[in-house]
Amino acid sequence: MPRDSEAPLPAGEASLPASEVSLRAGGTQLRAGETPFWAGRLPRLGILLAVVAVVLSFPSMAPSPYEITVGIAILNYAVLSTSWNFVGGFTGYISLGHGGFAGLGAYGTGLLVTKTELPPFAALFTAAVLVAAVAVPVGYAALRVRGASFVIVSIALVLILLLVFQSWSSFTGGSRGLVVPRPFPGMLRAEHHRTFYFLFAALLAAALLVWWIIDRSRFGMGLKAIREDEDKAQSLGTPTYTYKLVVFVVSAAFTSLAGGLYALWFGDLDPVFQFSILSGAYMVLMALLGGVRHLYGPVLGAVIVGYALEYSKVEFGDTPLHLVVAGLLLGVVVMFMPDGVIPAATALLDRFRKTGETSIREVTAAELRERRGQRNGTEEVRDSERSGSGSGTGTGSQT
Amino acid sequence: MPSASLVFQSVVLGVLLGGLYALLAAGLTLYFGVMRVVMIAHSAFLILAAYLAWYAHRETGVDPLLTLFVTVPLFFAAGVAMQRLLLTRLRPATLTMMSVLLTFSVALVIEGLLGYVFSGTQRRIRLDYSSAGFEFLGARIAAVKLIAFGMAALALLGLYALMKHSRFGQALRATIQHREAAQLLGIDTDRVAGYGFGLGLATAAVGGTALALDTTIYPSLHWHWIGPLMAIIVVGGLGSVPGAAIAAMTLGMLQSLLQLELSTTWAQTVFYVALFATLAFRPQGFFGGRLAQRF
Amino acid sequence: MRTTHRLQGGITVGTLALVLVASGCVSGGSNSEDSPDDPIVIGVSLPLTGDFSEPGKGVERGYKAWAKIVNDKGGLLGRKVELKILDDQSNADRVVSDYEQLIGKDEVDLVFGPFSTRLVVPSARVAEEYGMLFVEPAGAAPEVFDQGFKNLFYAAPAVANDHYNHLAEYILALPADKRPRTVAYAAMDDPFAQGTAYGLKEKLEKGGIKTVVNEVYPPNTTDFGGIAAKIADSKADMVVGGSQYQDGVNLIVALQQLNYQPKMAAFSTAPTEPEFAKAVGNKTEGILAPTGYTQKGDYPSNKEFVEKYTKQFGKAPEEDEANAYTTGQVVAAAVKAADCASQDPECQGKMVEWLRGHQVETVVGPLKWDDKGRPQSAHMIQQWVDGEIQIVLPEQQKEADLIYPKPEW
Repeated sequence: MPRDSEAPLPAGEASLPASEVSLRAGGTQLRAGETPFWAGRLPRLGILLAVVAVVLSFPSMAPSPYEITVGIAILNYAVLSTSWNFVGGFTGYISLGHGGFAGLGAYGTGLLVTKTELPPFAALFTAAVLVAAVAVPVGYAALRVRGASFVIVSIALVLILLLVFQSWSSFTGGSRGLVVPRPFPGMLRAEHHRTFYFLFAALLAAALLVWWIIDRSRFGMGLKAIREDEDKAQSLGTPTYTYKLVVFVVSAAFTSLAGGLYALWFGDLDPVFQFSILSGAYMVLMALLGGVRHLYGPVLGAVIVGYALEYSKVEFGDTPLHLVVAGLLLGVVVMFMPDGVIPAATALLDRFRKTGETSIREVTAAELRERRGQRNGTEEVRDSERSGSGSGTGTGSQT
Repeated sequence: MPSASLVFQSVVLGVLLGGLYALLAAGLTLYFGVMRVVMIAHSAFLILAAYLAWYAHRETGVDPLLTLFVTVPLFFAAGVAMQRLLLTRLRPATLTMMSVLLTFSVALVIEGLLGYVFSGTQRRIRLDYSSAGFEFLGARIAAVKLIAFGMAALALLGLYALMKHSRFGQALRATIQHREAAQLLGIDTDRVAGYGFGLGLATAAVGGTALALDTTIYPSLHWHWIGPLMAIIVVGGLGSVPGAAIAAMTLGMLQSLLQLELSTTWAQTVFYVALFATLAFRPQGFFGGRLAQRF
Repeated sequence: MRTTHRLQGGITVGTLALVLVASGCVSGGSNSEDSPDDPIVIGVSLPLTGDFSEPGKGVERGYKAWAKIVNDKGGLLGRKVELKILDDQSNADRVVSDYEQLIGKDEVDLVFGPFSTRLVVPSARVAEEYGMLFVEPAGAAPEVFDQGFKNLFYAAPAVANDHYNHLAEYILALPADKRPRTVAYAAMDDPFAQGTAYGLKEKLEKGGIKTVVNEVYPPNTTDFGGIAAKIADSKADMVVGGSQYQDGVNLIVALQQLNYQPKMAAFSTAPTEPEFAKAVGNKTEGILAPTGYTQKGDYPSNKEFVEKYTKQFGKAPEEDEANAYTTGQVVAAAVKAADCASQDPECQGKMVEWLRGHQVETVVGPLKWDDKGRPQSAHMIQQWVDGEIQIVLPEQQKEADLIYPKPEW
C-alpha cells in the first residue's frame, strides 16, 4: 500500500507514471499479490468490462435520439458529481457552488468560440484552464477559513456569477442568452447526440481515472487526512492549505470541462440556468447519496437522482413537488446515511457475512471506532491519519 | 452627477433597507452563535412568514401586522423543534457542513410546498396605504417602508435588550462565547441553544411580515435574500450580532447609493465583493470576535 | 479483503442493473403508424411550474380550448386532435429534452411552441433540426428571428419591438411644443420586456425626444424604491416600463409613493391583466399599454373563441390564451392546406411552404409573415379611461380618445 503518513509529499508527486496507471486501470483495488486471483480481480474486471460494454452500446440500442439525450443528461450529471467529489470526497469540504464552475466552463467555451473563433475543442480546454485560474483566488478566499465560510463563499460564487453574467450583457449576451455554434456543422441531430454521448462517456472515464489515481497517491492520503481531522493532519506536517487548494482547482477544471462540453452539445446558454444553486445542490446530493468515499459513488448517485427527478416529474406532473422530493431526499441522506447508499448497503450486507480483515482504506470511521473498541484503543495514532481521527472526535467521519 | 436630493433620497432608502437586513442578519448570527450552523433556510422561513401574512390578509382582511401574534410564537416553536429534532442529531464533527445541507433541504421543501399551495404567481398585499408617503427633509418616504423599518428596529432593540439584560440573555451569550465553560457554570446549554435557534427563527417571522408590506413575494424569492444576508454575517464577523447590524446598515446603504450610478444588478454585487474582500484580507470579519477565527 | 472485493463487485452489479433498468425505462416508444382513425397528436412543452408558470398555464388553457373547439366540430382532416403536454419547469434544458421526447420517442404528428423567448429559441432549434413546423405563441423578442430558423412562425400580430408603433406615431405627430420632451425608461432584463421598451425608445430618440433615465432591472427585483427615485428625480415628461406583470405593478406603486406625476405613462403587459386595477389600488387613470388581443375583436373566429372559452373556463380569455389559440388556428390552416398531418418531412415542408405565402384568419386578425417568421401586423394601444381599459389607437379601432396629458394617479 502506498502509505506513508509521516512524510506528506508535495502535490506534484501525486500522479503516478502513465505506464503504471495503464497497468492498474483494470480496476483492481489492491496489488494482485494480496488477494486471490479469482476472488478479486477477475469478477471485478469482468463486471467493469460489462458496464463499459453496456454504456458504449447504449446509443445503438436506443430506439430514438431522445433516449440518447437522456443518457447524455445522466452522463453529464455523473461527470459533474464526480468532479465535485474531488473536493467533497477527498477533503470533506462541501461546495454548493460548483454549478458556478460548470456555468463558467460553458460560457467560457461559448465565448471563446464566438469571440475568438478558436476551434470548439481547443476552446473547451482553454476555458477549463481559465476556470482553473479563476478557481485559485476563489479557493484562496474560501479555504483560508474552515467550514462555514467555505460554504458561504461557494454559494456566493454562484450568485455573483449570475449577477455578472446577467448584467454584462454587451459581452455575455445577458438574459438574451448566448448561442454556441455547433462543433460539427452539418451533422444530423441524431448523429450529434451520439457523438456527444461518447464524448461525455470519455470525459467521465477521464474524471474517474484521475480520481482513482489521486485516491491511491500520497497526495490523496493527505487530502483524506484533512477530511478526517484537519488539525491533526496539519500538525503531522501535511501542507493542508496547498493540498486543499490544488484539489479544489482540479475539481473546478473538471467541472468546467463538463460545463463546456454541455455548451457545445446544447448550444443555448442562459445565465439563469447556467448559474443555479440548484444544479450545485444536485451535484452534492448525487455524490452524497452514492457515497463520497467511493470511486463509483457519484456515478451511482447521478443515475439514482437522475431517475428520481424524472419520476417525480412524471408522477406529480405540473407541481413544484419535485423540489420537495429533492429536498426530502437530501435531508434523508444527510440525516440517516451521510456516507451514502454504498456504505449503507455494505453495512446491511455486513450483518450477513462478517469475514476477514478489511483494508483500512475501506472502512468508515464508524466501523473503525467499533473495531478500535474491540482492540481497546491500543492502536497507535501514527498508524494512519484515519485512526488518528477516530481518537479525536469519537465519530470522526466527515462524510 | 446625481442631484443632492436624489442622493439624500437614496440614503433614506438605504437606511430603511439596511434596517431589515440588520434584523434578518441578527437571526442568522444567532444560529451561528449557538450552534455553529449556517442556516440556509432562514430566508425560506422569511418568505414563508410573508406568505402567511399575505394569506391571512387576503382571506380575512386583517392587517398583516396582526399576523405577528401568530407567526412569531409559531416560528419560535419551529426553531426549537428544528434544533432539537434535526440539527442535534447530526454528528458533531461534521455539524457545520451537514447542517448547511440539512437547512438547504428544508429551504427546498418550503419553496416546493409554497409553490404547490400558492402557485408560482407573484403576490403582493394590497393595503389602503400602499402608495401613501410623506415628505421628510426633501426626501419622500413611503409609509409602508417606514412601518417595515420600525418593526425591524423594534425587534432588533428587543433582541438587544433581551440579550443584555435578562438571565436568559446572559446564558445565551455565555453559550455563544464558550459552550463548555457555560456548561460548567450550570447552564443547560442544549436548552439555551434550542431557544436561541427559536429566537433566530422568530426574527424571520418579523422580517417576513415587514417584507410582505412593501414588496412582491414568490416562492423562489428566498435565493435572492440568502446571498446578501450571508455576506453580511461574514463581513460583520460570524457570531457577532452588533457586527452583523453594522455591516447590514453599511452594505444596505452602499447598495442603495451604488444604484445611482450603476444598474440595479451591478449594485447588488456590492455584497459579494465585500464578502470576498473580507475573506481574503480579514477572514475574521470586521467587527467579529474570537469566534470567527476558526470558522 | 475478500469482503471488500465482493462488496464492490456487488456495487458494480447494482450499478449495472440500474443502468439496464434505466435503459429499459427510457426505451419502448409508441407506435407510429398513421391511420385515418388515429387522432392527430400534437406535442407541446409548457412551463407549468417555475418562473413562467403563470403565463404558461394561460397558454395551456388556450391550447386546450382550441383542441376542444376543433374536436367538437369533428376534428382536423376528419381526425380528432389530441394534445400531449409536458411540463418543462421553465427550464431550457427540460424544454429541449421535452421536444426531443415528443418528436423522437412519442412521435407526435405536429408540435406547438412553448412560452417565453428564453424557451422558444432552444426548442425551435430542435424542431428545426427535425424538420418540424414550429408555430409559437410567445417568442416575440427580436433575437428569436435572428437565428436563421426556417420553420418558425410567431402567432401574434407583431414582434416585441413593434408593440408601441401606434403610440410612437401618435407622439411624433403631436405639435412640437406639446410633445413630451424627456422620457425615462425602465425595463426588466428579459428579451421580450426590453424589446417593447427599446422599440419605442429607438423611435422616440429618432424623433428627437430625449432619454433621461434608462434602467434595466433583473426579473427577481422586488424593491423598486431606488429605480423609482431615479425616475422621479429626473422629472421626465413620460415614463415607459418594459414590464411583465408584477414588476410593472411594483414600479407604478413605487412611483406613486414618490408622488411622481408624468404626462404620459406606458407599461407593457401589466396594465392589461385583469387584476391590475386592484393591485395598484385603482390609481390607474391614464396608463397606456399595448395589446395584441381584445375580447371585443371583430373577427369571426374571435366571437366563437370568447364565447366557448368562457363557457369552458368560466372567464374570458386574455392575451396569452388568445395567442395559444391563434397558434392552433395557424397550424390548422397549414394542415388543411397541405392535407396531411405527420412527421413526414414532405408534409411538414408543405405546411411551412404554404404559411410563407398565405394569410391566416385568426382571433387576433389576419396574420401573415415575412421570411424570418415575423408577423406583419401591429399592436393596438389601450388606455385606462374612467376605470376601464379601452382601445385608443389606432384610429379605426378606437373605443375612446387618448387622454394626454394624463390625469394624476
